[in-house]
Amino acid sequence: MIEVKHLVKIFTSRNQVVRAVDDVSTAIAKGEVVVVIGPSGSGKSTFLRCLNGLEEFDDGQVIIDGIDIAGSKTNLNAVRREVGMVFQHFNLFPHKTVLENVTLAQRVVRKRKAAEAHDKAMALLSKVGIAEKAQQYPSRLSGGQQQRVAIARALAMDPKVMLFDEPTSALDPEMVGEVLDVMQQLAREGMTMAVVTHEMGFAREVAHRVLFMDAGRILEDASPAQFFTAPREPRAQTFLKQVL
Amino acid sequence: MPLKKRSPQWPWQGLLVLILVGMAAGLWFATQRVHYEWRWERVPQYFLYQADEPQVAPAAGTVQAIHGDGATRTVDIAPATGGAPLQVTVASSSLQVKVGDTVAADDDIGTTPHWRIGPLTQGLWITIWLSFVSGFIGLIIGLITGLCRLSPNPTLRGLAVLYIELIRGTPLLVQIFIFYFFIGTVLNLDRIVAGVGALALFAGAYIAEIVRAGIQSIPRGQSEAARSLGMSSTETMLHIVLPQAFKRVLPPLAGQFISLIKDSSLVSVIAITDLTKSGREIITSSFATFEIWFTVALLYLLVTSVLSQLLFWLERRFARSD
Repeated sequence: MIEVKHLVKIFTSRNQVVRAVDDVSTAIAKGEVVVVIGPSGSGKSTFLRCLNGLEEFDDGQVIIDGIDIAGSKTNLNAVRREVGMVFQHFNLFPHKTVLENVTLAQRVVRKRKAAEAHDKAMALLSKVGIAEKAQQYPSRLSGGQQQRVAIARALAMDPKVMLFDEPTSALDPEMVGEVLDVMQQLAREGMTMAVVTHEMGFAREVAHRVLFMDAGRILEDASPAQFFTAPREPRAQTFLKQVL
Repeated sequence: MPLKKRSPQWPWQGLLVLILVGMAAGLWFATQRVHYEWRWERVPQYFLYQADEPQVAPAAGTVQAIHGDGATRTVDIAPATGGAPLQVTVASSSLQVKVGDTVAADDDIGTTPHWRIGPLTQGLWITIWLSFVSGFIGLIIGLITGLCRLSPNPTLRGLAVLYIELIRGTPLLVQIFIFYFFIGTVLNLDRIVAGVGALALFAGAYIAEIVRAGIQSIPRGQSEAARSLGMSSTETMLHIVLPQAFKRVLPPLAGQFISLIKDSSLVSVIAITDLTKSGREIITSSFATFEIWFTVALLYLLVTSVLSQLLFWLERRFARSD
């Protein structure tokens, strides 16, 4: 579903060059749940943002469902329709109600009729357990509720892949569970997912594969069982010792 | 400062009233000293006045009959060429003919009073109309320039910066002269068009900077979220960024529009009869200098406060989602 070949992303700020993503190659199969973990500044978020072209990369290829997203003839907007993304800070549209947040892109991008978009939105909002807040503005919702709306908003486009960029990092601890539950349910339904997270419990229980990144490179690519019990890399070992 | 006990407010409010009364008294004494004779009763006629409109005989003939009583009289004139009598209605007090009089075509029969709009009202209307049109065009120019200013294209960006710097760096009065005497002559523009053009270009440069600041104040995550849903950059701008930016720039935009109304007084230098120019013209004939200038100031204040109330109301409406 997703193929990444020799991906390189370089940030240049005043006389400093940072290779945020340094020659990363991997693949994510259809229906697979891949969790990317690593210390902060390891480039895992940048890597994820390269997958839907939110971050322009310097070298390499990202192929989604057979389409090279940096290809000269590629319509990036058409690719992004198929790739849902959930952000750390939710990024709901504050001037739209919860319902409008979920229907807007359906209307504008997918050109769905109002009634169809409405029904789809309400179905998704009930799925993430927040249908009763449909007419509220996002500012009235708790962080956990906002993040669930953000997931519904991404799902409304019927994406083939979902990217999660630290979806629980900005949440109060008691709200992390409700978001992880929704994500777990999605994984069970067979959604292809790439998740950057610090939730080791989620990685252990839900992931099919764990990628450990440090300094822009994937140091370890293993099943969660193997990664959490017997990590090969010394960097992964120290990291796990610190977080577990 | 005591944290819990609030100090009483009334001594300060009393002081405020005292200062205001003092200022009013000072003003009164100052005008007493220059022996200015206030003639406020002269002012209303410049808003609305009654003019006598002459009524003339439509054709040569004889006055056959005069009927009606009270305020108006209707005069029947039998045309010299024959046919049905023609009727003219005039005010009773102004009647100039008797039954049996012979009248030629266009002879005065009398007058009828008509309410006429005075120069102050006309000037006020011109000012409102001028400010509205140039504000609207300025808003469009500002929006386009603001977007160009943020464009990744260096040509668009350069043009926008040049325009903004040129306009902000020169006085509006000079711009109006250039617009009227140079551009107006070259393109053969009407003075109103030149005035509106100069004001719109002037406001546009400031609005462009307001728009740019507004767009930049919207967090990047908003457009990232929209783009990640597959919206194009135009759709993102239209549905996500601009509506939020508009809400934020309303207060500075209100200030800019209020400035525009006041700045519009400068177009009087190219002989557009706006509120200020009307005021000046009235003073040359009435000598009620103080009264007219105070009235003109009050009228500007009236227009600007109505506008600021309107925008304040709009601001509160948009605050719904906060």
